[in-house]
Amino acid sequence: MQQRSDDRLIAYLDGEVDVPERREIEAWLDNDPAARDKLAALAESAALVRSAFDEVMHEPLPDRLIAAARGETVSVEPSAKIVPFRRGQGARGAPTARSWWLGLPLAASLCGLLLGGAVAYLSVAKLLPGGLGGKQPAVEMAAADNLWLDNAVGYFKLAASAGDGALVDVPATGDAREAWQKISQSLPQPQEVRWPELNLQPWGLNFRGARLVVADGRPAAQLMYTTDNKAIGPLTLIIGSSKEPDAPPTLARRQDVNLLYWRHQGRAYALVGQTDVGYLWGIANDVAWQLDAI
Amino acid sequence: MSIRFGDQLIAVLPRLRRFARGLTGSAVEADDLVQAACERALARQHQFQEGTRFDSWMFRIVQTIWIDQVRSRDVRKESGEVAEERMGSDEAVRRVEARLALDEVRRAVHRLPPDQRTALLLVTVDGLSYKETAEIVGVPVGTIMSRLARARIALQLQLEAGGGMRRSSDNAAAQ
Repeated sequence: MQQRSDDRLIAYLDGEVDVPERREIEAWLDNDPAARDKLAALAESAALVRSAFDEVMHEPLPDRLIAAARGETVSVEPSAKIVPFRRGQGARGAPTARSWWLGLPLAASLCGLLLGGAVAYLSVAKLLPGGLGGKQPAVEMAAADNLWLDNAVGYFKLAASAGDGALVDVPATGDAREAWQKISQSLPQPQEVRWPELNLQPWGLNFRGARLVVADGRPAAQLMYTTDNKAIGPLTLIIGSSKEPDAPPTLARRQDVNLLYWRHQGRAYALVGQTDVGYLWGIANDVAWQLDAI
Repeated sequence: MSIRFGDQLIAVLPRLRRFARGLTGSAVEADDLVQAACERALARQHQFQEGTRFDSWMFRIVQTIWIDQVRSRDVRKESGEVAEERMGSDEAVRRVEARLALDEVRRAVHRLPPDQRTALLLVTVDGLSYKETAEIVGVPVGTIMSRLARARIALQLQLEAGGGMRRSSDNAAAQ
């Protein structure tokens, strides 16, 4: 008898009873404080069990599992070295051996910002509503990807080196919806990137801001994220347009930067950072899921 | 291998890892289990029926491999693991109270019989319906219902006896 009542309470808690039975159980609960206490205790223990296993969902996927899922027998390329972000490093301009590359993204970004970014932000969408991609001669896909990805890395490095001083068109604070919509409209394809539904806070990533950039000659949105978690570090998500067919997530590297990029229904995505590939895969899965880009 | 199949597999990996972690009680064993499941799924991908739920198919593979492992497990090794776990638990309680409350829950789950543990993980943790769980495990819905009820009651008693529920509530209040 006791087992039967437990079964009913648990099925009720799990939403597994039909309407007549639910009414019957609710009437029972109304008149039986002990049953109500039991239900509350069961609900609490269920919540505890879910919490106990929730952290697994936020762990980076191990490389070996990604390789196994892809049917790869070769070992996965070692991940990029994690370089803790140092605020203002680029601004000091010390002539060290490794500081030379900082000039490239800075210069590229300034050009992109002053020429491409400003022009595109203000006029590209109106003048060329169909986007630039369709008017370009066909190029070899890998080469196009490379240029696009090089740009993505440049913008990531610029944002990482500028830290809190990074230029943004859409600040993380205040009502940024209107500015975001302008950026979104500048991207070819009517489907806008939703705001602010892309939430990466479960990964400890805070939205820093967004800006319009130019990647491979086409406007793209750069979303910047920062975190106190040095194992992840700052991340950039670039969302642009593409005439190429859909492509699954693919890992690429540029020096000490990892990229995970994919194409889906006319959009190209690149998640860029210095974190390991396991984190990148996990976060990219989350991004693709939230943006319906999988 | 089709790209689509591999993508589906990667997308479901976090949930498979959570399920496997609950089944095995060990992060390393769980990833070994998931890796074995990936390899088996790839070898048998022709058996997957389009239009059916891919996640359910993968859960079934994980569960099947794990059951095989449980049946062939070395009993002596299992006893040793439990003893070691008990020795360390008191020390851990003193160190991180909040962490321990969840550790205690995981241990309590791990003490459940395998069939009850499976039902609990699929329904309570992953949120699958009784029917979906019954299909994965290959038993009638009534059996799942019964296993689940026994698991939930046993778990609740364990947590109340160990103070896990009270501690967890206190921690939540403190936060």
